[in-house]
Amino acid sequence: MKCELSVMMLSWEFPPRVIGGISPHVFFLSKSLAQNGVKVYVVTCDFPGAPAHEVIDGVEVYRVDSYKTPSPDFATWVYLMNLNMQKEAANLAKKLPNGVDVFHAHDWLVATSGIGLKHVFRKPLLVTMHSTEVGRRDGIHTSAEKMIGETEAWLTYEAWKIICCSDYMVSHVRWAFGLPADKLAMVPNGVNPYVYTALAKEDLTAFRRRWALPEEKIVLFVGRLVYEKGIHVLVNAVSKVLEKVNAKFIIVGSGYMKEQLLTIVRSMKMEHKVLFAGFADDATLLRLQKCADVSVVPSLFEPFGIVALEAMAARSPVVVSDTGGLSEIVDHDWSGVKVYPNNPESLAWGIVKILTDDKYKDYLVENAYRKILDKYDWDRIAQRTRKIYEDVLGEYSKSFWA
Amino acid sequence: MEAMRVIIFSWEYPPRVVGRLAEYVSALSTQLVKNKVETNVVTYHEFLTGATKEANGVNTFRVSNPVRTHIGVLTWVLTLNQEVERVAANIYFSSHKQIDLIDVYDWHFVPAAATLKAALDIPFVYSVESIEDQRSPAANTPYSMAIKSIEWLGFYEAKKVNVKTEAMRDDIIRVYQVPMEKIVVVNPNANSWTKELLSLYNSVSGGLKNR
Repeated sequence: MKCELSVMMLSWEFPPRVIGGISPHVFFLSKSLAQNGVKVYVVTCDFPGAPAHEVIDGVEVYRVDSYKTPSPDFATWVYLMNLNMQKEAANLAKKLPNGVDVFHAHDWLVATSGIGLKHVFRKPLLVTMHSTEVGRRDGIHTSAEKMIGETEAWLTYEAWKIICCSDYMVSHVRWAFGLPADKLAMVPNGVNPYVYTALAKEDLTAFRRRWALPEEKIVLFVGRLVYEKGIHVLVNAVSKVLEKVNAKFIIVGSGYMKEQLLTIVRSMKMEHKVLFAGFADDATLLRLQKCADVSVVPSLFEPFGIVALEAMAARSPVVVSDTGGLSEIVDHDWSGVKVYPNNPESLAWGIVKILTDDKYKDYLVENAYRKILDKYDWDRIAQRTRKIYEDVLGEYSKSFWA
Repeated sequence: MEAMRVIIFSWEYPPRVVGRLAEYVSALSTQLVKNKVETNVVTYHEFLTGATKEANGVNTFRVSNPVRTHIGVLTWVLTLNQEVERVAANIYFSSHKQIDLIDVYDWHFVPAAATLKAALDIPFVYSVESIEDQRSPAANTPYSMAIKSIEWLGFYEAKKVNVKTEAMRDDIIRVYQVPMEKIVVVNPNANSWTKELLSLYNSVSGGLKNR
């Protein structure tokens, strides 16, 4: 076998530290790359109870001190955390017998680490842009947002190749940072359906009863409670859905909009119909997704929409807003229902359509499941990513750095 | 005989003069060149970026910050460090990977020095003009604590600490518990200034024979 390709992944989150979609993405991508003959070193932030070093299915995971002294603000913390991550990653990379062939950074949260490591080791830097500041905030409004946007621009400038998880994100990133087309590559995000099939034999009746009455349909939302996820659109659709169907709205996740949303729910006197469950562990989340009579992704901005894929893998029918990556994952009236973004009437219509027509629901679920097996398989995603590494290293071998 | 090769990190250097440090580093670099030390100064300038051979024989490398908008000194400094690393690495790779040491002035570019040490085994001297505890006495705001943590990293990772007075040495020992043997007092007003500094540099690089 020829010399093994080695990559160092930089990510601010990795299980058990889970904040958003980057953590499961890096986890499954790293594991699948390892199965495809790539040596993967993950450098990530520490987490209470998680070891500083462990090997997971061939993936070497290193958790570094993430600067736990109080910081002036979140963005400053990110740069302080990177100071340490870069130093520790450099220490590690130097000691590896075959070194590192490629540094692979995930989002601006590890931008400064990745850029510095590229230059001191003179190795190519790849970046996966999972999101952008201008997209998350629906425009740039403050100095902090501008600074983060400029950090993202710098990161994409320094990167040899930029990977995006959807065609939508490719064009968005090109637009946001004015990049040439040949610098970008599209590799979809993946989903692992086996975690749900493993639960197939389990009787979830008792579990379901803890969350909803037997006569209530479960409408599930999973995501951070932030503006871009459109959770306020769902809250505004609650009464419109309840006019037609008896349902329980379960909202999993936390975020800065929580108090505001609770106030709206209280003012509507809907506390008994809307449950804010907070952050859920994996075991609970997987079961909830299996129990959901409909899963809702009402995002206003969604680079990819992994939560829709997870619902499809769990055989829960999906209603998504017709935007970003969601538009590509779901085919309307075939693998799910698409509704107008930021439109509670449209969202309620989609939810009711699925909850009142079982045959239609079964049809969507079957089509969706076949689609994820076909298009979003981690093994194929790892092979495509490996090919990108090899192409970049081929170009690199002709550069004066090699 | 091959000359000693050093890189100096300073956030001010003429024509950018903020305090007294710019003139000091300039005078120091001139002396080093006179003593046949290849001297490379990496510093910041808003727009006069790039490499220059100065009249006094010092090679200067000025970088600006790729991130134009900032919310504080910390974010500005921490992003600027990557440019310092880039330029220092360029000097390293174009000098047959032989840099004897980095002399870093104050806390601003300590992060770059620490990474370069970790990645490329270049030792560094941490030269201290002032410490945060003197600038903002007893401050424990997140802002001050962050600067102190960077200063601490400098004291911890440096092979030697260089100060101008015994009072400064005692303050550093009091605030950071740095072992006294690690701190070298070099009085810039003494006649033996350059000689003492060169002997400090030699003790850090292990001399040319260690190459």
